[in-house]
Amino acid sequence: MNTIVLIEIGKILIPIIQIFGIYVIFFGHLSPGGGFAGGTIIGTSLILYRIIFGNKKAAKKLGFKRLMRLTCGSLIFYGVLKGYSFITGGAHIHAPQISLGSPGSILSGGYILPLNIAVGIVVAITIYFLFCLFYEGEI
Amino acid sequence: MDVAKNFPLVIILILFIGAFIMPLLKNKIYNKAFSLMTIGISSVLSLITLVYVNRYGTFLYRVGHWDSPWGIELSIGILEAIMSLLLTSVAFVISWYSVYTIEKEIKDNKVCFYYTLINILVGALLGIVYTNDLFNAFVFIEVSAIAACGIIVVKDKKENIKATLKYLILSSVGSGLVLMGIAFIYSITGNLNMTFINKELSQTFMAYENSILISLGLFTIGLGIKSAMYPLHVWLPDAHSNAPSTSSAMLSALVLKAYVIFYIKILYRMFGEEIISQFPILLFMVLILGSLGMIMGSILAILQKDIKRVIAYSSVAQMGYIFFGIGLGNTIGLVSTFFHILNHAIIKSALFLTVGSMIEKTGQKKLFALKGIGKEMPITLGLFTVSALSMVGIPILPGFISKFNFAIGSIKGGKSIFVVVILISSLLNALYYFPIVINGYFGEENLEGKVFKSKEKTIKELMPILVLIIAALILGASSNKIIEMISNGVEVF
Repeated sequence: MNTIVLIEIGKILIPIIQIFGIYVIFFGHLSPGGGFAGGTIIGTSLILYRIIFGNKKAAKKLGFKRLMRLTCGSLIFYGVLKGYSFITGGAHIHAPQISLGSPGSILSGGYILPLNIAVGIVVAITIYFLFCLFYEGEI
Repeated sequence: MDVAKNFPLVIILILFIGAFIMPLLKNKIYNKAFSLMTIGISSVLSLITLVYVNRYGTFLYRVGHWDSPWGIELSIGILEAIMSLLLTSVAFVISWYSVYTIEKEIKDNKVCFYYTLINILVGALLGIVYTNDLFNAFVFIEVSAIAACGIIVVKDKKENIKATLKYLILSSVGSGLVLMGIAFIYSITGNLNMTFINKELSQTFMAYENSILISLGLFTIGLGIKSAMYPLHVWLPDAHSNAPSTSSAMLSALVLKAYVIFYIKILYRMFGEEIISQFPILLFMVLILGSLGMIMGSILAILQKDIKRVIAYSSVAQMGYIFFGIGLGNTIGLVSTFFHILNHAIIKSALFLTVGSMIEKTGQKKLFALKGIGKEMPITLGLFTVSALSMVGIPILPGFISKFNFAIGSIKGGKSIFVVVILISSLLNALYYFPIVINGYFGEENLEGKVFKSKEKTIKELMPILVLIIAALILGASSNKIIEMISNGVEVF
């Protein structure tokens, strides 16, 4: 779909959607939202990018290998971080934990923020993959 | 030695984190080695946990920083430790076999995903076995269902997709029913931790008889679908016969069993014997469905023409035995159920792997095309024969011991008539296993034109099956000790 209107509007819209998605992820522990909701929003922006600019250009920026590495990296990060928390809690080890911060600021809530970011990345990429698989049958 | 208390959680973490390292590895060989390594480490840790539990008794482990009614809790007793050792070690042997054969059944670019799914599946099943929290168990049930569907569809053929959809839909129905049961229990008791639910229920169950009966029914049917209780088994033959043979072994040997463990936990840890004895109809239904499964599964197996479907229907019959033991409702029934779970997991995976290697070498799935296979693959068919003998229940082999215990259990429970069911089912077992063996080894026209050992696999590739058979023999020979251990475990369950 190579219409100039679509491309120009996409150029404006996609960054705005992404910023909103990032906002939802980063304020997940303070307000409604979180990793899953924000991840879906970012995922829709990736889908829009693919619809507007076509799969060749999308494959350059959103290559399968790169996205796969990102997803697996986030999942491993999630597993290691949460596993650390679980084991130190379960074994009653007084190991350093992420500080809770002052309530209301972005850097608060201990593990929630980093875990939300990891979830957001995974969900965004999964939504994009799902769309590609149903739309074109390949990523 | 308190470090050992962390091992169950560490096992789950290793498997799950390892699962997602695999897609990052470039080479298939690294994938296989890594998968084997993670599952191997977890089986060693399970063994240490078993030794620890055997010495110091059951322990509860809180996950995270909150104590039990709020946080998730793992509860590890002897039975859980035995089950986790079984799950991880059988999964290890099956993966070891798959290292040599998996490329012949699935495409090269899917291999890393296959091992990812295997790791996720084993981790989720272990989670179901360990957890003491209902909702946590539900999440693990969902994860394992999706991973199980994944290892069926990974072959990417038309009939696989059909079988997977069938399995996916039915197993979603099953987990939906389980979720509804959890909702009933949660609204009555306000707890998700099984020990606390038991405390609440034992005080108030008289006020909520109907709700409890409904939730018991929902759990029975939901988990019955997932572990192929007789009239709900319809997904099993398709799924197990179309999947790659290592996946079938994994599904039949391990996936079905974890849900049974969860069911037993729900009955005896969550509701408790007192409440169960208020509703004799429930256990009676399970007993009847189990007996029906034992007979009908075998009859349906006799009617099949495809060797993998025969073994898949045999799984239905064996799950019938397992539900039969639960339905007896006494200690001996439960002990023999557990022993049968061990026995069936080992023997059925050996059967699927031997059949898989026959199909791989000859390219034939039909029973009539596999006549005379004994001359071409004598060792493979020999291993098949030993497993078949155990399924039928020939002494020394573990199958005999579990059937013997089932018989004792039904006599002690005052249900001697069901001994007849066990006998009939064993005879029917013989009816479909022996023709394969006899037509394989004997008969002039069957053996005509076959070259001795022409299609035999190398000893290296047969080692995993050999290990399984040796494990089965050890299980049969040392059954006294194992049954004693299981009965200790059942008492503190």
